[in-house]
Formats: sequence, structure tokens, C-alpha cells
Amino acid sequence: MTRLKKILILLLFPLMAFTAIHKFYISVTQIAYSEEDQALQITSRIFIDDLDRLLKERYGLDARLATQQELDTANAFIEKYLHSKFRVKINGNETPFHYLGKRYDKDIAVCYFEITDLPLDSIHSIEIQNDLLTDLFEEQKNIVHILIQDEKKSFVLVRENDKAMLNL
Amino acid sequence: MKKIASGFTAVLFLFSAISMAQEEPVKTKEPGHTNQNKFRQMYQEFATPNGYRTASGAPGPDYYQQQADYKIDVELDDHNARLFGQETITYHNNAPEDLEFLWLQLDQNVRAKTSKSPLRDSQEVPMAYKTDTFAKEYLDQPFDGGFHIEYVNDAKGQPLPYTINRTMMRVDIPEPLKSGEQISLSIKWWYNIPDHTIDRARSGYEYFPKDGNRAYVIAQFFPRMAVYSDVEGWQNHQFWGDGEFALPFGNYDVSITVPADHILDGTGRLLNRKEVFTPEMMRRYEQAKTSYDHPVLIVTQAEAEAAEKGFSEKKKTWKFRAEKVRDYAFASSRKFIWDMQAVKLGGKDVMAVSLYPKEGNPLWEELSTKTVVNTLKSYSSHTFDYPYHKAISVHAKNQGMEYPMICWNYGRPNEDGTVSEKVKFGMISVITHEVGHNFFPMIVNSDERQWGWMDEGINTFMQYMAEQEFGEKYPDIIAPYSHYPSKRGVPSDIVPYMSGDQSNMAPIMSNPENVYQLGPNAYGKPATALNILRETVMGRELFDYAFKTYARRWEFKHPTPEDFFRTMEDASAVDLDWFWRSWFYTTDYVDIGVKDVKKYYVSDKPTAKMKEYMAAHNVSESDLVPLVYLADEDSNEPDEDLKGEKPSERSQTLNAYMMDHMSPAERAAAKDPRFFYEITFDKPGGIPMPLLVEYTYADGTKEDVTYPPEIWRRNDEEVKRIIATQKELTGIMVDPKAETADIDVSNNSWPKKPQKSDFEQFKEHLKGK
Repeated sequence: MTRLKKILILLLFPLMAFTAIHKFYISVTQIAYSEEDQALQITSRIFIDDLDRLLKERYGLDARLATQQELDTANAFIEKYLHSKFRVKINGNETPFHYLGKRYDKDIAVCYFEITDLPLDSIHSIEIQNDLLTDLFEEQKNIVHILIQDEKKSFVLVRENDKAMLNL
Repeated sequence: MKKIASGFTAVLFLFSAISMAQEEPVKTKEPGHTNQNKFRQMYQEFATPNGYRTASGAPGPDYYQQQADYKIDVELDDHNARLFGQETITYHNNAPEDLEFLWLQLDQNVRAKTSKSPLRDSQEVPMAYKTDTFAKEYLDQPFDGGFHIEYVNDAKGQPLPYTINRTMMRVDIPEPLKSGEQISLSIKWWYNIPDHTIDRARSGYEYFPKDGNRAYVIAQFFPRMAVYSDVEGWQNHQFWGDGEFALPFGNYDVSITVPADHILDGTGRLLNRKEVFTPEMMRRYEQAKTSYDHPVLIVTQAEAEAAEKGFSEKKKTWKFRAEKVRDYAFASSRKFIWDMQAVKLGGKDVMAVSLYPKEGNPLWEELSTKTVVNTLKSYSSHTFDYPYHKAISVHAKNQGMEYPMICWNYGRPNEDGTVSEKVKFGMISVITHEVGHNFFPMIVNSDERQWGWMDEGINTFMQYMAEQEFGEKYPDIIAPYSHYPSKRGVPSDIVPYMSGDQSNMAPIMSNPENVYQLGPNAYGKPATALNILRETVMGRELFDYAFKTYARRWEFKHPTPEDFFRTMEDASAVDLDWFWRSWFYTTDYVDIGVKDVKKYYVSDKPTAKMKEYMAAHNVSESDLVPLVYLADEDSNEPDEDLKGEKPSERSQTLNAYMMDHMSPAERAAAKDPRFFYEITFDKPGGIPMPLLVEYTYADGTKEDVTYPPEIWRRNDEEVKRIIATQKELTGIMVDPKAETADIDVSNNSWPKKPQKSDFEQFKEHLKGK
């Protein structure tokens, strides 16, 4: 119950006025099929400060991402969070993914995860549910690009509309 | 000789006629079209030049601008967070026409209870509300913001009628203000100062519950004259919140009364320093005037911490005079630590100043003034010497906002004083950006209300250069990075935006209130476009001269986008209409690739196509003038054993020509291309750019060729080039140094490189660990 409350408290932030430099609540996820690896490879780009704040508010973890003092446990919590907010269904069945790790690119954390042992002809549909950071920011937008063979589709997902679907 | 030439022409002409006929079988005639060429000049988009603004992009002989001088007295009521003010505005009508009324800006009214700004966006019921948000939205009385105007009087103290339309106030004057004349009016007002940390207002206070103090950063605090110009007439577009400001230049005499224990600084020269400084502060200030290598503390942290406990009931008045400024702002608090350092700029001394509460330390004492100094030096070197006598950086939570000589900047360390890289670089970047705004738009005074990119985009471009120079100057501060990690300016960084959803994008030439993503729209994309223009399209020498010309032409004036576009061409002789059109007026993107490569050899024998042509026209080989042919490698026409031989060995006609027309010495020195390639470049993207190609040869050597953007002027989709070389070509790469913000590089190489995805690279990196 306390946990639920805590999460709720984080739900909404007032719309922020633009000042000279504006903060955008956005993440970009690319989902691409690798024929060589027979795998669906997923890359999510998330602002480091957003992720830092998320870990603090949701898990009480002062992770200090991208600093010398970054906690060793940060990765485990990021993995936990990805599993709770990012879901992949292949042919209608929820399919687990494997989190490989992250790297930093300026102010962005790039998270890598993949679903392996997936022959191309076994994929008929892919459904993505992406709720990353929507628990923290009301106006969070999650952009998803799916690229499989020549099929390419992009989605802008928000909390009320968090699913993307691609039929092959 | 003449016969050969004309024979050649005739053959080639016929040949192209045949091929066209083959490609286009009978079809209905296409309708005509208007000039859609991307290299057409921008006569339709640009206004006709006139006496105010010339075709070269400079102020014309009839150029004028209005002037508004202010005498302002304000008093800060710290108990109630209220500001009371009285001002006399002297407005000079320099326009050739008379004015029937005056428009003033009441920016604080954006926070009035009756403001339309909160009503203009679509809303949806969310899944849940944060409690305090719910309370603020549905339970609390709204903040009682906005100006309370007590009177508007003429010079004799008689009331003038006025009408307030939200954030604009029209003052009806009894007689039109004649051209060349001036008018004085006096206004008295007060308003409740907002907490700027709540809705990120551009000015207000932050309350510090631990010590009960407020730190004020005060701006838009007085009714300000709107701009009247040859371009907009009165610029009285409402202040909704996003589109910033348009303001005329003038001279300001400002008296600010605050609690006696406040530390205060603002736009302009402090006139009564001896009255408001202690003798010790005076001594330190004198020291700072000649301290060129480090800041001198005027108020120390220990002194600021002692002052926090004071809460003096006495008052002190700080008096300033500012000349040739377009606005006024100040910061005031008991909490402020104050440091200053002198900077030499063009033989003149400028003071770099920082004001910050202890909450900003240790970060601020280390880096704020240092960053101000770097910014002033860098920007001055690219434009003109900073003309004001000081530049102040004030620490304010979450802020990034600019005013003449003073700006508010974020960057707060954790409570234990530790600082993440994000906060450190964020702070250096925001200070660079906001201090940089002194140049654009405070001095090169563009209309921010209409063209957000003219100050934000140009300033973000300048910020990129200043940050890179900061990195070069202070490698230890930016370590472990080798270059300062600028967030905007590098071409590849704009790719995610420019390759994104078109329905969520607006051209740069849009009003800031109506764009979808103000950050990339007004900051990132124009900054990147200018960086590409400098590094790749024009080159630094031509760009820097033209850019400086723009800054100097419009220093202390009001430029429009066209003045910028025209000046950049005027001072460089580089036709840039295609660049402005595609980068600034459309949402097109760059995507250029190499599509096909065909290899040829010189041959004496007619090629299959030539034979077809001869048969169709009943011409035999003996009827033709001497010809040299290039045989397609794939057509099996060249004899295997002749590949790679000298052209003169392959073609008797060529050999005979050389014997007839060249001396033995010339023949020996002749180029000797044995391999011929026809390369097709395609352009899926809408923006024409210089075609940057790196050719790699069998011996490992590389050659860079830049084809001008005009290569796309006749065919916007595909062009072909022939490469004649002594060495076999083994690789082609388009835009090898990622200079153009090409959104798809999978088509940039020949032979197609199996692209190692970012994902694969990361996996390899993991393995390597």
C-alpha cells in the first residue's frame, strides 16, 4: 500500500512552461531483427537524469548514474524496471527478453536487451507495450521504431495508448 | 577539327534522343508546372527590399527604430513577495509616420486569474493525479498574478485612457504622436511575485524553508513598450508563454528599494556603490577590477550565511543607469555570495560577475564566473567586442533565462555538495547559453515573439563554438571527455529529430507558439544547420566573415530572418537560397547514397548500344568520325586480355589523335586512366547538399571529392559521375565524416558494407570486457 501511494505521488507533474532551455519527457526505442543472430534486438534511449530520478523515486535507490560513484546495483534495478514496464508479445504470446546492459551517450543512457532463438519465419506479429517513465511523468512520450526485414513502422506511445503492433 | 567536334555532337545528340524514346513509350502529355527547382531564388518567400532594409541584408538609408527611455522606481516587499513600481516612459517616435496610440506589454498578466494561456491546450483525464497537483488544479485558489495598474498619466499628471487586452495595453493619446516627436507617460502599478520554482516562470522567487529567505530573480516587472517597426507595425502578438519578447532599445534609470541586508545586482552601472557597499566590499571590488585571472569574492559564503539570519526591517535603495539596453532585470537576496573577475575585451575591461546562494557551492564558486569569462571572449571573437561593462550569472533553481547584462541559470549540487556530470555540464552549458544571449537577442535585437530561432538557434550555434573552446581551454575540467560534450550542434545529434514523425514537426520558420517540439525546432535544428553551413557548405573563412558582418550590421538594431539570409550571401558570394529553403522553410531531411557503380574500359570497337544506333540509322562504321568507346565491363565486350591497358593502346583512333596533336613530351606526360567508372548517386532525402565522396583505390589511397550542391539542380533524385583513374576503385563512401546529418547511412557505401548495428557493437564491447 505504501508502495502504491509512493508510485501515485510520482504520477503527475505540472506542465512546465518553456524557458530558455526546455526539458522534454521522451524516450526512443528501436526494435530491429538481426538475421545473423536470429534475434530481436532492442535499444532504448532514456535521459540519464530521468532514469536516475526514476530509480530514486521508485526504488529509493540513489544510483548516481554516469558518475564515478554509480552504484553497482543500478543495473539490476534498471533490468527490473525494464521488465515491469516493457513487454513484448510475439504472435500474441508474451516473450521474455534478456537485458545485456547499458552505455552512456552524453546525457542519454542506451539500454540493450534482446530476444534470442527467434527464426524470422516464426514471427507473424509483434506487439510492444512500452510504459517506460510514464509512472514518473504524465507527459512522457515513448517513441518506438520497429524494423523487421523491409517492414518499418514508428509509433509514439503515451500512457493512455501504450501499445504498438506490427503484423508481418 | 571542327568537323570532328560537330560530328561528335551530332552523334551524342542523336544517341540521347534514341535512349529517351526507348525509355518513354507513347503516353499522354504531362501538364506543365511552375518553377519547383530547389535552386530557384527566393523571390516568393522574401519581401521586396526597400529603403528600410536593403537587398544586401543591411539596414537601408530609411532604416529607423523607436526608442523608449525609462525612469523606474520599484520597491520590493519581501514580507508579502510583492513589487510596487512607478515609471516614466519617454517614447521617441522615429518612424516616418505618426502613431495614433501606443502599445505596452503587461507580461505578468500571463499569470493573471483571467489568463487564457492555461485554457489553450487540450486536456484528458489522467489515470491518477498527484495529490498536490490535484489540489492546485481543483482546490486551491489560483495564484493572484498579473499587474494591478493604478494609473496611466500624461506628462502633466492627467489620466490617459487605456485598454488592457490580456498581456497588451493600448494607451490612447489625445493627439497622434508625430513622426520625430516624443511623449512621456507615467504608470504606477504593483503585482504579486510568483514562486518561479512552481511553474518555471521566467522570473519570481525561490523560497528556502530552512532559513526562511527568498532569492528573487526579477524581470518582466514593469509595463514595457512594444516594438513598432517597418516590418510588423506594432508587435502586439500576445505573450502566451513560449514566444519570448520583442523590445525597443532605450536608456534606463532604475532605483530599486529592498531590505537593507539584501545583496543586489542588475542591468546597468551601479551609481551609488559607496552607499550600498561596506568599505570592505569596496576594497574587494577595487581588487576585482584588476583581477584578470581569478574571481574576487565581494561577499563571502560566511558573510552570506550570516546575512541569512538578519531579516532587517531597514531599507536600502540601489540606483542604476543602463544605456542602449532593450530590457531591465535584477536579482536580490540576503543569501547571495558575490564574485567578480575582470576580462579584457578589445582594450576595454568588462566585469564577469556571479551571484549565488550557498546552495550553489562548491560548483558555482569554481565554474560560474569562469564560464562567463569564456563566453564573453568566445562570442566577442565571432561577432563584436561585448559592448556592455558587465555580465552577471545568477544561480536560480531550474532557470535558464536571459536579460541584458544578467541571466538566471540552473545547476544545483546535491545537498552534500557532490555534483553529477549532468549537473556540471548542464550548468556550464546553460551559463554559456544565457550569457551568450547578450549578443543575440539583447544586442542583435531580433523579434523573439515571432522568430524564436533567430536568437535561440543562432545563440545555440554560438554556444556550441564557445563550449568547444571551453573544452580546449580547460581539458582538466571536461576530462575524461576529449571534447566538451555539447548537446546540440553536432550534425549526427539532430538525426533522431529530422528522421522522426513528420506530423510532429514544423519548419524552423514557424512561430514558437505553434511548433510541436520547441527544443529541436528553435534550438537544435537551426544550430546544427548553421554549424553545417560553417564547416561543410561555406567553410569557416567565408562563413565567419559573413556571420560577423551580420552581427555588426545589426548590432543595436532589429534584424529579420531575411536580413540574416541576405547578408550571409552578400558577404560570401555563396548562393544559399537552396540551403535556407530546405533547412529553414521545410521539414525535409538529408539522405544521400551511392546506388550503383559500373566499370568501363576504353575500346576501339563500337559498343552494343552504338551498334544498335548505327543499325537504326543505317550508318556503317566507315561513315563515322573517329570515335573512342567505353565498353561496359559486364557486357563482355572488352577482351579480357586488354583490361587495364593504356587507353592509347586500346584505341587506335585515340593513339592517332595523340600522335597528330601532342608532342612526344606531352604524350609522355599525358594522364593515363585505365579504369573508368560510372557512379550513380541517389538522394532519397529532400535537402540538396554538397555531395561529399571518399574514393578508395586498390593501393589503399583515398581521394576526397566534394561536388557542389548544384549537382542536384537538374535532377533532384539521382546524378551520375564518371571517374577515370589509373588505379582500380575499391570503395566509395558518401559523407565519410558524418558532416551532413544524413538520416540513413545504410546506403552511403559501395560496396555495401554489412552494417554493424549499434547493438552488435555493444555486444562486442561486452565480450571485450
